Amino acid sequence: MAALFKNLVRNKVMLFMVLPGAIWFFFFSYLPLIGTVVAFKQYRFNREGFWASIVTSKWVGWDNFKFLFNGSDAYIITRNTLLYNIAFIVVGLVLSVAMAVLLSELVGKTLAKIYQTGMFLPYFLSWVIVGYFAFSFLSMDRGMVNQILGWFGVERVQWYSDPKYWPYILIFVNLWKAIGYNSVIYLASILGIDRSLYEAAMIDGASKRQQIFNITLPLLSPIIIIMTLLAVGRIFYADFGLFYQVPRDSGTLYSVTNVIDTYVYRGLKTTGEIGMSTAAGLYQSVVGFILVMISNFIVRRMDKDSALF
Amino acid sequence: MIKSRRSFSFVLAMLMAFVLVLSACGGSKNNAEGNSNEPAVEAPVNLIWYTIGTPQQDVDKVMEAVSKYTLEKINATITMKMVDWGDYPQKLQVNVASGEPMDIIFTASGGFDYVQNARKGAFMEMDDLLEKYGKGIKDTIDPAFLEGSKVDGHNYGIPANKELPQENVWRFNKNFVDKYNLDISSVRSLESLEPLLKTIKEKEPNVTAFGMDKNFLPNIPYDYVIQNLPMAVKLDTTDYKIVNILETPEMKQALTTMHKYYEAGYIAPEAATTGSTNDLTTSGNWFADMAQTQPLADNLWSASYGYPVVSTPASNSIINNNSVQGSIMAISANSEHPEKAMEFLNLLNTDPVLRNMVDSGIEGEHYKKIDDTHMENLPASKSYDMPSYSLGNNMLLYLNPNDQSDKWEQFKKFNAEGVDSPILSFNFDGTKVATEMAAVQNVKEQFWASLMTGTVDPDEYLPKAIEKFKEAGLDKVIAEAQTQLDAWRTANNK
Repeated sequence: MAALFKNLVRNKVMLFMVLPGAIWFFFFSYLPLIGTVVAFKQYRFNREGFWASIVTSKWVGWDNFKFLFNGSDAYIITRNTLLYNIAFIVVGLVLSVAMAVLLSELVGKTLAKIYQTGMFLPYFLSWVIVGYFAFSFLSMDRGMVNQILGWFGVERVQWYSDPKYWPYILIFVNLWKAIGYNSVIYLASILGIDRSLYEAAMIDGASKRQQIFNITLPLLSPIIIIMTLLAVGRIFYADFGLFYQVPRDSGTLYSVTNVIDTYVYRGLKTTGEIGMSTAAGLYQSVVGFILVMISNFIVRRMDKDSALF
Repeated sequence: MIKSRRSFSFVLAMLMAFVLVLSACGGSKNNAEGNSNEPAVEAPVNLIWYTIGTPQQDVDKVMEAVSKYTLEKINATITMKMVDWGDYPQKLQVNVASGEPMDIIFTASGGFDYVQNARKGAFMEMDDLLEKYGKGIKDTIDPAFLEGSKVDGHNYGIPANKELPQENVWRFNKNFVDKYNLDISSVRSLESLEPLLKTIKEKEPNVTAFGMDKNFLPNIPYDYVIQNLPMAVKLDTTDYKIVNILETPEMKQALTTMHKYYEAGYIAPEAATTGSTNDLTTSGNWFADMAQTQPLADNLWSASYGYPVVSTPASNSIINNNSVQGSIMAISANSEHPEKAMEFLNLLNTDPVLRNMVDSGIEGEHYKKIDDTHMENLPASKSYDMPSYSLGNNMLLYLNPNDQSDKWEQFKKFNAEGVDSPILSFNFDGTKVATEMAAVQNVKEQFWASLMTGTVDPDEYLPKAIEKFKEAGLDKVIAEAQTQLDAWRTANNK
């Protein structure tokens, strides 16, 4: 106890700096953990409030999880969620790193700022608005794409009832929205690289290409790994707005747009079983947790310093 | 590193202890307050009333006036909290779950779902309260409302006295009816619309001949056990058998006709993903659509759209759960003053002064009376513009300047003419089949709108949908519903 107290005093500045974040995590991440117990209960209201409701609700074991694995949809939603997220991670990574490298090589700094801001902007748009943007392009009778197709005498496409285009549309829209934000993170890290390394390389006659592949990318790899690990942890969470708003909840597209989050929403919006939605959330976080542990383990095996922990 | 981590967890533990102490303090303070309130019975109580609608600027001001009135009558004051349309179900769900103090809650089949939440324990069972403090309600409100809003044999809320049956009409934009001299009197079935739609499509290619959004549902003589799930009972049933509505010949025929209309271009190509027809009604760029009616509805529509609208019946007038549970006021299960809340509901549904104050605001400021039964809105009414249907007995309301004097008489006649659905007041409890219900809901979302709006060919998609519903476990849900319905029949001597 005495040693602990001594430790506390010695690190007081550090601990004080951690305090706001610790409080936030405590309230918004650790405290709600108690609520996961709802996943195993048939939640019913009690007039004494939330805690009493949890205590008095009936235990139902694993019943709340069953709907996630019931019928043919279980395969489709798991497949869609996983494949889309993998595509977002891989393509997103390549494009945002490429964009960050390009931006860092721009000589005109004002121009770089303009590009950066322009790319950053979509990140702040709500999915509802992005959904209407997409609609103005893809609407059957007034959409821009169909009008352009019309000029060339190509038959108009019923975008919102033909599933085959949607994997590409969804990936494109997601990248358009996310790349700006991610590339700024990579750009910041590139700007932190010691310029003398490049000067030395230039003196040795290294080309721009060689500089990028032998200095920028290797020094960028820790942040790339961290960002990817974090993304892997959320691989079982789908971006609800993207998969619900952008395809306008069109039933004929479900085979390629239904993901875990939209499935849960559609299945429970009328019955409102809190236990079942909690179960879905718990399932997603547990799988995410396991995947992060595994990938972190692999990273640690290959390169100990890049691992998260 | 390890040492500092340990001290970090120590800080966390300290924090947690601190929070626990804090919350314990908070708790005990509440209890103390609760106790001190009890002996003072005579002190006026404050009722907290949650209702739906865009929050209005003058709510507090009007409620002050309302409170002055209710303080005199029943020794209670009123605080009204409005929650906007789209947020209402979620917000109330959170409020109920977290035990937020509430006394009166608006609920409806489409708002914060009445039956589901009654079963989950959100509302107080009010049979005794109604007997004791709700005499006025029992005398004024059409008994079919109170009967139809029972859940498992008990009342959990007071429905608003308004139009009782559900009757669909074909609405027509009169401008086009007159322009092409069309005869709408012969229209009744879905099929009988065809010649009119055809004329409009030929003469006015830019007008949407048959307007609809993704919630469109063709009329067939069945009543749904749960709205928009394919389980239904035929209206003239004698054996009370629940069928998959997609397998009925009536539905097949209706969907075939819808698809024919869609192919012919009478229906907008994106009807299955369109959320509302507001664009069409605002622009007047439509010819026909289907809507639920009430007495004098044509005047209402014409006035709100700014051009004449006429209508003709499309279905019989049916009283079903959905029409009865369209607007209900319940007492929260955690209400501290359920008796007072009931007294207030009784007053609200029987006292014209209070009812009109809640609806239109303060006389002389938000509205003025023209004669005994008519009133006129004043400019200030813009800051207190309330949805009348959600606030109690509609038949006490003053009439608008151009309303016919016998408006409420017409409503009573309309209500008397409605025919009870065979399954009126039977409420399915899906708890036992919750897993299947979630899957079935998803299948419904996948196929429903595109089938109902005629977007897809029923010959191809109807069998597909039926197959998917089966896979999702619809048969099990129907079997469970049938068991419950049979038990309900025996209990109610149907």
